[in-house]
Formats: sequence, structure tokens, C-alpha cells
Amino acid sequence: MFHWLEKHPFFFAVGVFLVIAFAGLITVLPNFAQSSRPLIGAAPYSTLELAGRHLYIKNSCNACHSQLIRPFKSETDRYGHYSLSGEYAYDRPFLWGSKRTGPDLMRVGNYRTTDWHENHMKAPADVVPGSIMPAYTWMFTKLADIDTAYAEQVTVANIFSVPYNKPVPMRDGSTKIVKMGSSVEDANAMALAEAKVIAADMKDQDVKDAIAAGKIPEIVALIAYMNSLK
Amino acid sequence: MENRPLEYDYTVAKLFMFMTIVLGVVGMLIGVILAFELAFPGLNTMLGSGVAEYTSFGRLRPLHTDSIIFGFVLSGIFTSWYYIGQRVLKVSMSESKFLMFIGKLHFGLYAVGVVAIVASLLLGYTTSKEYAEFEWPIDIVVVLIWVLFGISIFGLIGIRREKSLYISIWYFIANFLGVAMLYVFNNMEIPTYFASGGHGDILHSVSMYAGTNDAMVQWWYGHNAVAFVLTVPIIAIMYYFLPKESGQAIYSYKLSLLSFWGLMFVYLWAGGHHLIYSTVPDWVQSMGSVFSVVLILPSWGSAINMLLTMKGEWQQVAASPLIKFMILASTFYMFSTLEGPIQAIKSVNAIAHFTDWIVGHVHDGALGWVGFVVIAAIYHMAPRVFKREIYSKSLMSTQFWIQTLGIVLYFTSMWIAGITQGMMWRAHDEFGNLAYSFIDTVTVLHPYYAIRGVGGLLYLVGFLMFAYNIYKTMSARPVEEYELQNASPMGA
Amino acid sequence: MNKLYLWGIIITAAMLGFTYYTIVLTKGGMNGDIVNMLALAGAVALVIITVFVVIKYVRQMQTDTASGELADETWDGIGEYKNELPMGWAVMFLALMVWAMWYYIIGYPVNAYSQIGEYNEDTAAHNAKFQEKYLSITGDKLVEMGESVFLADCKACHGIAADGIEGRAANLNKRLEAKTVKYVIENGSNNHLLGSEMPMPDRNGLFNTKTGALLTDAEIDAVASYVADGMSGAGANVFASTCASCHGEDGKGMEGVAPNIVEFTPTLVTNVLNHGKKGAIGGMPSFNGLNAKQKEAVGAYITSLSSTK
Ligand code: HEC
Ligand code: HEC
Ligand code: HEC
Ligand code: HEM
Ligand code: HEM
Ligand SMILES: [Ca+2]
Ligand SMILES: [Ca+2]
Ligand SMILES: [Cu+2]
Repeated sequence: MFHWLEKHPFFFAVGVFLVIAFAGLITVLPNFAQSSRPLIGAAPYSTLELAGRHLYIKNSCNACHSQLIRPFKSETDRYGHYSLSGEYAYDRPFLWGSKRTGPDLMRVGNYRTTDWHENHMKAPADVVPGSIMPAYTWMFTKLADIDTAYAEQVTVANIFSVPYNKPVPMRDGSTKIVKMGSSVEDANAMALAEAKVIAADMKDQDVKDAIAAGKIPEIVALIAYMNSLK
Repeated sequence: MENRPLEYDYTVAKLFMFMTIVLGVVGMLIGVILAFELAFPGLNTMLGSGVAEYTSFGRLRPLHTDSIIFGFVLSGIFTSWYYIGQRVLKVSMSESKFLMFIGKLHFGLYAVGVVAIVASLLLGYTTSKEYAEFEWPIDIVVVLIWVLFGISIFGLIGIRREKSLYISIWYFIANFLGVAMLYVFNNMEIPTYFASGGHGDILHSVSMYAGTNDAMVQWWYGHNAVAFVLTVPIIAIMYYFLPKESGQAIYSYKLSLLSFWGLMFVYLWAGGHHLIYSTVPDWVQSMGSVFSVVLILPSWGSAINMLLTMKGEWQQVAASPLIKFMILASTFYMFSTLEGPIQAIKSVNAIAHFTDWIVGHVHDGALGWVGFVVIAAIYHMAPRVFKREIYSKSLMSTQFWIQTLGIVLYFTSMWIAGITQGMMWRAHDEFGNLAYSFIDTVTVLHPYYAIRGVGGLLYLVGFLMFAYNIYKTMSARPVEEYELQNASPMGA
Repeated sequence: MNKLYLWGIIITAAMLGFTYYTIVLTKGGMNGDIVNMLALAGAVALVIITVFVVIKYVRQMQTDTASGELADETWDGIGEYKNELPMGWAVMFLALMVWAMWYYIIGYPVNAYSQIGEYNEDTAAHNAKFQEKYLSITGDKLVEMGESVFLADCKACHGIAADGIEGRAANLNKRLEAKTVKYVIENGSNNHLLGSEMPMPDRNGLFNTKTGALLTDAEIDAVASYVADGMSGAGANVFASTCASCHGEDGKGMEGVAPNIVEFTPTLVTNVLNHGKKGAIGGMPSFNGLNAKQKEAVGAYITSLSSTK
């Protein structure tokens, strides 16, 4: 049979395709629906947080940082509760990473604060002696792209029914509404309001000036995202 | 059987050969930079803080993996295809104007893709998915490039004179089909500019899958990208150049056959080993572990077939650096395809995952197996394509030993670094507290990062010697009158 | 013995040596951790198997000769023997296929294993082990344990010497800096330092009973340095007439009324860890992942830092 296939390229190709194609279906599909379900307490990202997430991706922080706490005592001691599938329901793309040159950041919002991130992102080794993380000084002057974050919110709300402007259940029984602007201008205004709260805890004068002038430096969006990781 | 000697047309092979060498230098240079950035973080701002954004580790890392895998390796694969394909199918590209055009278009579009990818990654356009970082417009270019590659493969097969397909062709077909399937499904993404009615960046897109599902699809892709780019076509290349260079017949058809179909069947199930102890269902993880272990055999089958092809031919191995490259490559292939399955065992993965031991594994395969096979292939092709002898055999031999030393330094240092770090992360002290803060587990790695940097640098130096050797081959020696047969003749 | 085997042994020994060195380097070595042991066993097996299998084939290159019946076809001059499969390979392949089937059908059918179940067991065992041990940890041992918590969890902000890394976090070798005291007086404080909601008023609620008026800027400066200097200096009067009613004459605080502002106490630290803190310097996150004993221990450690000086 194989010798025959080797003389009939078309059937050979079909054979190869069949052999390689179905494994994917069998491993990916059975739990697909279940894995898309959000956990109670999971909420979509606000505009500013999403802009921060884009910066995280843009600079490939995921090249060094994971966002996946494995169920080991040593990891839950270090980073907090192990990760649950439903916590990632609004993560597009997922950012688990595959290398921990730096620590896991899945719940970094629980044990680091705005001012710490500010110091750290500016000069990591000044805060953590021996750190090999690069400094991200340009984030203090370049401005975050709120429009694209808004575009993504609109997209996922329309196509994947991500619940913006709708109550989502929280763990304590309450509900939370994550707002999405009704227009780009609206979205920018909302992001600025959020940014002001964060910048109030920061010390960098350029950042404060920018915020006062109605602009949002990248670092503010990034910190908003870091703080949202809980 | 035809007796008329065929004039093979290597125009496209030549173009891709230049590309292989250029992108190899670029990709490895960036690798060396990355390695030293981890050892000496000051290098992140090596061109000044004004342009730090473009020289910092995070920006450069995807550029390394993509320029090496989709630049250097893929070009090497294309080069080999445009060389091997004609010869084992017994048709010349010059016999079909259409296929010649497709080949040139393939190269042209590929060159456009390379420029677009380098520029976009430097600017920070990435979707973050490993080995699938490209944004949607580039995905479209990639698909077109791939379609052209497919037309070239099946077009040439369509007009072949050799009825029965040689083993290398099996693997090229699998390479084509596998990547086509994987790439399309892992890149299902929606451009947000259009979906939101014209807001934001036109290049931005959002993944069709979320969270755990996205991870499943990504590593189904990621693992099999390794399979269908860093393994399958490399085997194709090996199956041609080793017997050709040594003049030996393949040891066993049966072994080729079972290894091929075994590899095709088993590989696809093993992707779960990238997601062990994650939030994907336990049974998917176990599937990944179990099939990884099974995968040793079809992988080793090809390597053993190569080693046994050289049965009784030790004098050739001893005499020819080119054959040394291929034999050591087979050995590293065996090493990494045993290392992978061991790292796929749950308890071992608990230590190895997220550490440099994985990076070590990657480069055992990448430097020792993939890199060496591509280098050997070009060393075999160059004299035939340019009709000139290889410029210097002694340079080639020196290159071999320098690069081998580089690999040894790379994998021993990452082996130690990974296991050390994995164990330190897990350690509790006598009070039941974590024994180390994270930074303790980073500073301890400094010497290993430095050693790895040196190892990588040696590999790069060897590669530059290779580039020089090929350059001199092209330009320095007189043209050969006739096509060379087995065993590359080499200058002193 | 063939030279190759010697090389094989050298390579294997070198890799094993490196691996051993790795363990020695790690505090606590194998740590009695089964995962460590399996990982190392895997690493060792990897080198030994690869090296000796490859040597076997290299020996065949050296001593054997190629033989067998050639297939009819040649491709660009490449021939192919019709040799049988290598026996060992074929048997192993078959055996592993059977093993995989067994694994999925009989051994561990879908969902027979749960990683969370495994986690729960490991964690319970860990906790049980230390529950017992904790009873005997007191005094200096407790301080030592606290230091270990501090170095793992706190030094990222407070620095290895607990000095706050040039003002980026609180200097824990000293109860309070003048800057902080001043900030608290000006802005009040509501950090659950007593364990529950019990705010301190800001300057608009702080009367100097002697002057019968709100504190002046000069008085605030004076009392701030008085507190920061360990209750000495010019601000004594202001303190006695404004602060002492809550913080006590000696500043050591009053149960349920105001915290000790002269020295650290384990309770104060525990309260900070439970609720976090936000002040002049910045934000301190809460640390509810630590267990009660760990909080007590790090409290003892921090208390010891300033009291021994
Ligand atoms: C070259 C690798 C590397 C890159 C790239 C990198 N980091 Fe880090 N990161 C580290 C290392 C190493 C540490 C641990 C030492 C330290 O705290 O500085 C760290 C620590 C951190 C921490 C502290 C977490 C904790 O628990 O202490 C945060 C937050 C962080 N990084 C965020 C980021 C962000 C955001 C980016 C991208 C914009 C980024 N990192 C890019 C290596 C990196
Ligand atoms: C009405 C009672 C009251 C008075 C009067 C008072 N305090 Fe306090 N003080 C408190 C309470 C309650 C807290 C704890 C607040 C909290 O939990 O954040 C506190 C906290 C503080 C702290 C913060 C300690 C830390 O670790 O951050 C300082 C410093 C302080 N007081 C100084 C003073 C000084 C100086 C005065 C006098 C000028 C003063 N207090 C007067 C009730 C008082
Ligand atoms: C993300 C950074 C961060 C981490 C991690 C952190 N701290 Fe702090 N901590 C701070 C900052 C900032 C302050 C100062 C808050 C202020 O008063 O402005 C502080 C204040 C404190 C105080 C109060 C000092 C005072 O005089 O009132 C104590 C006690 C303390 N930290 C203990 C700890 C312990 C114990 C740990 C570890 C288990 C820890 N901290 C981890 C940032 C941190
Ligand atoms: C039997 C064959 C193989 C198996 C079972 C295997 C298994 C594995 C495992 C378990 C990991 C680590 C996943 C993790 O914990 O993060 C891994 C990573 C990797 N392997 Fe292999 N491996 C094999 C062969 C190869 C070969 C031949 C190469 C060629 C270069 C290779 C390239 C890679 C790469 C690039 C990664 C890194 C993926 C990432 O980015 O995380 N593997 N492999
Ligand atoms: C000069 C030689 C090379 C050097 C110095 C080098 C260095 C590096 C470094 C420093 C990293 C990042 C590791 C980390 O994040 O900790 C890396 C990643 C990677 N390199 Fe290389 N590299 C070299 C050659 C190659 C080659 C030839 C290939 C492929 C054929 C390759 C494939 C990869 C891959 C796939 C990764 C990602 C690994 C992962 O995510 O786990 N590299 N390399
Ligand atoms: Ca990776
Ligand atoms: Ca894409
Ligand atoms: Cu894999």
C-alpha cells in the first residue's frame, strides 16, 4: 500500500493530511465551550487597562514573565492562588508565557503598588539590586494608544459578546459594571479619569504634567494593567 | 529511464541560499545580543537610551526566534527544496516557464515578507503568540508565500520523470501540509480597525480564541511548528545530502517508512507537553506527556537510519568535515528528541518548565541539529550550484570544532542554570517559608548566562567563517567543467 | 576498551558532575522533594542513554560494513537497502504504543488524575508538618524565621537591609521618619494600624490643649522631629499636649486608641500586613498570603531590627 502511495502523490498528500489533522480536533474541541466560560469575579479590562495590556504585548514582557500560577505549594506561596481557567476568559490573546526570566505576574496587583512599579520600570536594578530586567524609560514620555484599546473593546463586545456596560457577577455576590465609551472621545475621557487616579500615586513630574494636560503616558496605562492583575 | 543528462536550474536555489546566509547571520547575531543582555543588562541600552526601545530584550527576542526559524531555517529549507526537488524528481525547473516564474515570485514575495516582519517586530507589532507573532497583513503575505511553495512542490511533482517519490519528498509534502494547517488555525484573528468601524491602529488585531482555548490552539501550533519546520523538512534535507555526500545507500527503506508515518501520527498529539500543570484539562496534559514518550521512537528511527547509512564508513567521517556536521547533527537530534520527552514527564516538567533548561533543549535541537544540517546542505550544494570547489576545507573543519564547542558551552550552561533555578523556586526552608526570593534565583544565573553568551558567540563566529567560505567559493575558484558527483571535492 | 567508550564515560561523568554541582549549589539540596529527584534521574538517564546508544552506532561505522539487498529504484543516484528494521527499535516502538494505549484505556483513563487533588494533598502534608514545628519556634528562632520571610517577600521593596532603599519604601530600622509623621499630621491616617477602622484626625482635628488652638506649621515640624528622633528634642511640649492623649505620654500607644509610634511591635506589623498601608512614601500592599505564624515571625524580626540598635 505504501509503495502505491509513493507513486500517487495526491493520495499520499491526502493520507498525510488525514493522519495529522484529527489529533488537533480531538485535543482542542471537547473542552472548548467549557474553557471559554468566565469564572465568577472575572471582569473585562477597562480601556486604560487594555491599553496597558497592549503595551505589555508590544514590549514582549511575556518573553520574560509568565501569567500562570501552577498548583504547587512553592508557587502559591510566592504568587498567590493557582490559576483557574475561567479567570482567563477575557484574555485575548492569553499571556501565559513559556519562560520565567522574571517572576510570574498573574496576581502582581496583589503585592506590588503603583509607586513601586514607577520606580521599578524606570530603573529596575535600583529597586531590586541584581535585577536583569531592562529599564523602560521611554514609557514615561511616549503616549498610550487609547484609540486602539477602544477599537478592541468595541470588537470583542460586538463579536464575542464580552460584557461591557453590563453587570458581571463578583465573588462577594455583588456585581460590577466595566464601562466602555460610547465614542472614541468618550473612551479617551474615561481613560483619562482612570489615569488621573493612578498618576496621583506617582512621583514623576513629566507624567503628572502630561496627565494635567490631558495626555496619558504609556507608563500610566501599563501600571493600570499591572494593578488589575489580581 | 532517461539517459540524457539534465541541466538543473538553480536560479531560485541560489537566491534562497544568499537569504539563508544573511538571515542566519542576522538571527544569530541577535541571539548573541540577547544572551549578553541577560548576562549584562546594561546592554539593553547599548545604542543609547534614546533608542533603548529598539534594543531592549523584549523587542529583540521575537526578532531572534522569527528571523532564525522563518528566516534562516525556512530559507535553508527552500534552498534545499529548489535543489533537491529537481534532482530526485528528475526534472529541471527550466523545463517549465510557469514553475520558474512561481519560484521567482516565491522568492520575491518572501523577501517582501522578511522586510515587513523585521520592521514590524522592531516597531512592536506583535500578537505575542510565540512563533506566530505577525499581525494580520503579514499573515496574508505568509499564506501567499506558502501557497506558492505548494504550487512549486506539486507542480514539480506533476511533471516528474521519477515515478516513485523519494523519502525527502515525503517530508517536504508533510512540511507543506502541516504548516499550512497549523498556521491558518492559530492565526484566526480579527482586525479591530475594521470591526470597530475605523478606530485605532489599522494593523492591530484580536485573537478569535480566549484564555485557555487560545493557549490550546497556540501550543498545538507551537509544538507542531517545531515538528513541521525544525524537524520534518530537516529530515528531508538529511535524507538527501548524507547519502549523496557519502555515496552510501540508505540503510533501510522499512525504517524510513515506519519512522515517517510514525512521526506523522504521533507528533500532533504531543502539544499538550507545553501546557503541563496549566489550566487545560488534565487529560490533555497527560496525552501530551504520554505521546511525547512514544515520540522518541519515530524520531530516533530517522537518526538511526542516518547513522547506519554510514556503517563501515568511519574513514569518511574522519576525513570529511561535511560528513562530521551531519553525523553530529543526527546525534544532537537524538539528544534533543530524548531530552524533550524527558522534559515532558510531569514531574520533570514541574522543574524544567519556565526555566533555561527548556532554552537549552531548544538550542540542542536548533544549533546542533537544525543549524548543522542547513550548513552541511549548503556546503554540499555550493560547489554544484556555483560550479566551483569549496574554498577551504581547513576553514570548514575549524568551523566545525568552534561551533561544536559553542554548542557544548550553550547546553551545559543552560542545563545547570535551568535545573538550579527550577530547584530554587521550589525550595522551602526549615521554617516552611520560601527559601529564596525571586531575585536570588536570578543573580545565581549570572555566570551561566555569561558562559552561554560565549558559547553563542563561538557558534556565530563559526557561522561567519561559513559565510566567508561560501563567499570565497562563489568568487575565488575557477569554474568546474562538469557536474560533481559524490563527495564534495574540497581545496586544501 | 575502545577509545570511544572512554569518551562516553568522560562525557557522562562530566554531565553528572555538573548536575551534582547544581544540587550542592541549591540550599537544602534535594530538599527531600520527589520532583527534584525525578528531574535529576531524567537528566542522568538522558545523558547516559544518548551517549551509549550513539557510541553503539559509531562502533558500527568503525567496524561493520554496509550490506543488504538494494531496492530497484535510485533517486539521483541514491540507493536504498531493503534491510529489516533494527530489532531493538521495533520492539521498543511497539511496546511504547501498547503502553500508551494501556495508559489511556486502563491505567489512567480520562480524568483519573487531578492536579488540583495532588496540590491539595501536598499542601495539607506541608501544613501538617509545620503546624507541629511552629509550636517550638519562639524567641530568637522566631526572629530567624521572620528574617527568612522578610528576605523572600519583603526585600523587593524594603531592601535587603530593610532600609527602604533610599526612601522607596519605609525604613524599617527606625520606627518613623520626620517626613512621615508630618504627613500623617497634615493628612490624618486611616490604615487600620490598630487592626480595625480607627482613623487619626488630620491637623484640622488636632488641638494643642496648651494653646487651645490648632497646630501651627512650626509646631508640626517640631513634634515631627521629636517623634522621629525617638521622643527627644524640642517638640516634647507639643507632643504632651496634643498627641499624648491618644499615643500615651511615652508614645507607646494605647490599646484600641492609637498605635505605638516609638517602636515596632509584632501586632503593628501584623496589622500592616493584613491591611496594607498608604502614606507619605507610597503604597504598601497587604500580605494575606502569609499565615499567622509567618506574620508573627516577620513582626518579631522587624521589631528586633530597631530595638537592638
Ligand atoms: C529581560 C527580561 C525581562 C523583561 C523583558 C521584562 N522583565 Fe520584568 N522582570 C525581570 C526580572 C529578572 C525580574 C525580577 C527582578 C526584579 O524584580 O527586577 C522582573 C520583575 C518584574 C516585576 C516585579 C514582579 C515581582 O513580583 O517582583 C514586574 C511587575 C515586572 N518585571 C514587569 C515587567 C513589565 C511590565 C515588562 C515589560 C514592559 C517587563 N517586566 C519586562 C525580567 C524582565
Ligand atoms: C485622636 C487620637 C489621636 C491623636 C490626638 C493623635 N493620634 Fe496619631 N494616631 C492615632 C490613630 C488611631 C492612629 C492609627 C491610624 C491608622 O490606623 O492609620 C495614629 C497613627 C499615627 C501615626 C502613623 C504611624 C505609622 O506607622 O504610620 C503617626 C506618625 C502618629 N499617629 C503621630 C501622631 C502625632 C505626632 C500626634 C500629635 C501631633 C498624633 N499622632 C495625635 C490617633 C491619634
Ligand atoms: C510593593 C512594595 C512593598 C512590599 C512588597 C512590602 N512593603 Fe512594607 N511598605 C512599603 C511601603 C511603600 C511602605 C511605606 C508606606 C508609607 O507609610 O508610606 C511600607 C511600610 C511598611 C511598614 C510600616 C512601617 C511604618 O513605619 O509604619 C511595615 C511594618 C512593613 N512595610 C512591613 C513589610 C513586610 C513585613 C513586608 C513583607 C512581608 C513588606 N512590608 C513588603 C512597601 C512594601
Ligand atoms: C521527541 C521530540 C521532542 C519532544 C517530545 C519535545 C518536548 C519538548 C518539551 C516538553 C518542551 C518544553 C515545554 C515547556 O515546558 O515549556 C519543548 C520545548 C521546545 N522544543 Fe522540544 N521536544 C522534542 C524535540 C524537539 C526538537 C527536535 C526541536 C528542534 C529544535 C525542539 C524544539 C523545541 C522548542 C523551540 C521548544 C520551546 C517552545 C517554547 O517556546 O516554549 N524540540 N520540547
Ligand atoms: C548564535 C547562536 C544563538 C544564540 C546565542 C541564541 C540565543 C538565544 C537566546 C539568548 C534566547 C532567549 C532565551 C531566553 O529567553 O532566556 C534564544 C531563544 C530562542 N532561540 Fe536562539 N540563539 C542562537 C541560535 C538559534 C538558532 C540557530 C535557532 C533555531 C534554529 C534558535 C532558536 C531559538 C528559539 C526557538 C528560541 C525561543 C526559545 C523558547 O522560547 O523557549 N536560536 N536564543
Ligand atoms: Ca518560549
Ligand atoms: Ca498573526
Ligand atoms: Cu513541543
